[in-house]
Amino acid sequence: MSFDILFSQFMSGIARGALLFLVASGLSLTFGVLRVLNFAHGSLYMLGAFLSYSIWNFLLMPVLGFYLAAVIAALIMGGVGVIIEFGLLRRLYARGWPEQLLATYAIILIITDLVKWAWGGQFLSIPRPKPFTGAVLLFDFPFPSYNFFIILLGLGLVVFLWWLVYKTRLGDIIRAAAQDREMVSALGIPIPWLFTWIFVLGAAIAGLSGAVTAPFGSVALGMDIEIIIECFAVVVIGGMGSLPGTLLGSFIVGQVYAFGILLKPELALAFIFMVMAVVLIIRPWGIFGRPER
Amino acid sequence: MDARPIEEKDSWFKRGWWLLALIIASFLAPMVLSEFYLTVLIEALVMSLMALSFNLLFGYMGQLSFGQAAFYGLGGYTVAMLVTKAHFNFWLSIVAGVLVAALVGLVVGIFCVRLRGIYFAVLTLAFGQLIFTIVFKWHDFTGGDDGIQGVFPPELLKSPTAYYYFILIVFLVSAFILWKIIHSPFGQTVVAMRENSERTEFLGIHLAKYQLIAFVIAAAFCGLAGAIWVPFYRSVAPSYLTWIKSGEPVMAAILGGPSLFFGPVLGMFVMTFFHAWVLGFTVYWPVVMGALILAIIFFLPGGILGFAQEKLKQRKERNNQAAKK
Amino acid sequence: MLLETQEISKEFGKLRAVSRVSLEIAKGDIHAIIGPNGAGKSTYFNLITGYHRATSGRVLFRGQEITGLPAHRRCRLGITRSFQITSIYPKLTVYESVLMALLAQRKETLNFFSSAKKFFKEEVWRILEDVGLTDQAKTLGDSISHGDKKRLELAVTLGTEPELLLLDEPTCGMSLEETEIIMGLIKKLSAERGLTILFTEHDMSVVFGIARRISVLHQGALIADGSPEEVRASEEVQKVYLGGSA
Repeated sequence: MSFDILFSQFMSGIARGALLFLVASGLSLTFGVLRVLNFAHGSLYMLGAFLSYSIWNFLLMPVLGFYLAAVIAALIMGGVGVIIEFGLLRRLYARGWPEQLLATYAIILIITDLVKWAWGGQFLSIPRPKPFTGAVLLFDFPFPSYNFFIILLGLGLVVFLWWLVYKTRLGDIIRAAAQDREMVSALGIPIPWLFTWIFVLGAAIAGLSGAVTAPFGSVALGMDIEIIIECFAVVVIGGMGSLPGTLLGSFIVGQVYAFGILLKPELALAFIFMVMAVVLIIRPWGIFGRPER
Repeated sequence: MDARPIEEKDSWFKRGWWLLALIIASFLAPMVLSEFYLTVLIEALVMSLMALSFNLLFGYMGQLSFGQAAFYGLGGYTVAMLVTKAHFNFWLSIVAGVLVAALVGLVVGIFCVRLRGIYFAVLTLAFGQLIFTIVFKWHDFTGGDDGIQGVFPPELLKSPTAYYYFILIVFLVSAFILWKIIHSPFGQTVVAMRENSERTEFLGIHLAKYQLIAFVIAAAFCGLAGAIWVPFYRSVAPSYLTWIKSGEPVMAAILGGPSLFFGPVLGMFVMTFFHAWVLGFTVYWPVVMGALILAIIFFLPGGILGFAQEKLKQRKERNNQAAKK
Repeated sequence: MLLETQEISKEFGKLRAVSRVSLEIAKGDIHAIIGPNGAGKSTYFNLITGYHRATSGRVLFRGQEITGLPAHRRCRLGITRSFQITSIYPKLTVYESVLMALLAQRKETLNFFSSAKKFFKEEVWRILEDVGLTDQAKTLGDSISHGDKKRLELAVTLGTEPELLLLDEPTCGMSLEETEIIMGLIKKLSAERGLTILFTEHDMSVVFGIARRISVLHQGALIADGSPEEVRASEEVQKVYLGGSA
């Protein structure tokens, strides 16, 4: 097990972690503010992936096509987010968490069949976009440069979210609402509007993540459940509703996945679960999470 | 969506008659029904058992589990593997199926009960999916996505009618056991945990322990359901363990009404026949399921029985008001 | 001496809610803890029942250290509390609620096959008689009056057959009549069942009406501890209270 292989896997883990953070951050943001765990978050990711494929296929523009498709897919998913939040979730805030979970579970079912109906059971992929088509040599080991794109995107999201949450007025509201919803509402800030925007942001990010996953060649039915499970592992390990926790959790799960693949590919998911199990025993509310009491 | 184990005396009495009638009817069913409908009825009974055990966790304990199909599938796979590969005794295989499901339920439960509410639900989905993935990928042991075929019941139970009576008896006995458990001090504790977990903890109850016991019981009965279904269907496949399958007892419970013991049974019967009908003209069952769940949440919050109960209560109140005048 | 806290403190981040309180609760006593709002009374209770873990200091019950024990274990030892905001079972009847307490107390909760309603009928009725809720036995917890909810709270705590009963503002929100009833009840329980009662209150007439010993907390620290006369005469206490109820 030479150093270059290890380093290469480490970097793969970083890339995977970056992708996970892209998806999980939307989930964490939504949960932190709305206190709703969107089971269907993975479905938005999947729908974004399929949409981006079709848009790319339609545009047929040599370099820009991929990026444009990704952005358009993200915007469409934001729109879907509006429909879901405004049309459905909003009516359920007053009801308990069971109804909210059931409703988002129902959305997974609906979207899964929607994708099956629209795209069939195919496995789709988009070729890697320029300029990230080749590989870069890391200590004599080829590392797909597209992974660097993912990592850059992840970093970009970290910076964006950090700016949003800590440097803008909206961010102040977000953090206040996460702590005390009633107070924020009493201050005259229209909570429903805030909720919709947060949800839409989360949905758009999910859609974008799905779109950039397409060049990995794994756009297929079932990616919704796959990713949501990994996202759950991320937030269980890192702590629900905590963005720093999600970042750490993504990093950890990414590394466990990468080295798990190295050891025994079929058991990669099981390794992630083992880490999750350990966290559950030692600190059930996650590394950066807050205990119930 | 809350069930209460100790009901008033006169409502039990009224309930007794129609239950007896149904049981008698169920014993007479094979003489009236065609083989096709008998098969659907068998499926409804098996899934109702799964729904009843799920409702122990949902209606009575107040927790949502999205992973029950894993235990159902494990029960089925255990029987399938023991019967086809080890040529094990059929009856003992069924017992083994229950035990395997209960054991896995114990292991999974230990992690899941450390959290509650949303987190608990999330974990059950995750573990359910993990178990599915293991069964799906372990080609050498479980047959992977081919599943296992050729699972035959003993000579005695080869005919559909005979197997129907077997399943009916298992169902009735299981339902009786679950009823007893729910009306026992343990069941009362489970309900108290749902009603006010803090208070119950301050009464000296170690919440996680009781949640774990309930979880294992539910897993065991789900395993039993899978174990008795597979020899009838003659095969088992990874599709038994999917998250979609896990949603079926959930839907049955909320459709029929989780606040009453037999609600999930009613819901599952409606759902099974509805499912069979839908599959007649489309393969897109999940979207129908999703739409139905949303419809129930918004238009029928207590399920069918919950709705009926509300109406009866309203009528009783109106009569009371009228009598007072 | 039934309960003792030694230099017990609880910090929430930078906030010191309870600051090195050392107190002894004598067996059979009716002992009141008073203090202005925010003095730390509820937090102190929480430290005794195990709801909060102490940041420092010890809690001893019957001479044995219980500082690290979780809440449900302390209840088993005989420490029970009622809640300031009534913590009852909304969808269980009054009878079922008390029955639940007894089932837990008598360790019958792992019984899977007997019928729950057959247990402890005498004990439940006795408790309901003591608190005066016999005619509400079949009413659901969230359908009874506020005063009755408090009585139900009390009934449930009695079901745990405690040695030490902690009552958090037992007469909160009650009318004059209801307050008198509760006061009489507390005195009766102390006399007839030999319970040791520790309670917090804002209503000074209740405090001076039934307490045999009073401790005063202010900003998390203990500033007075003694008989009602001693406390009434204490200058410190008068300064803090400025001669009126908080």
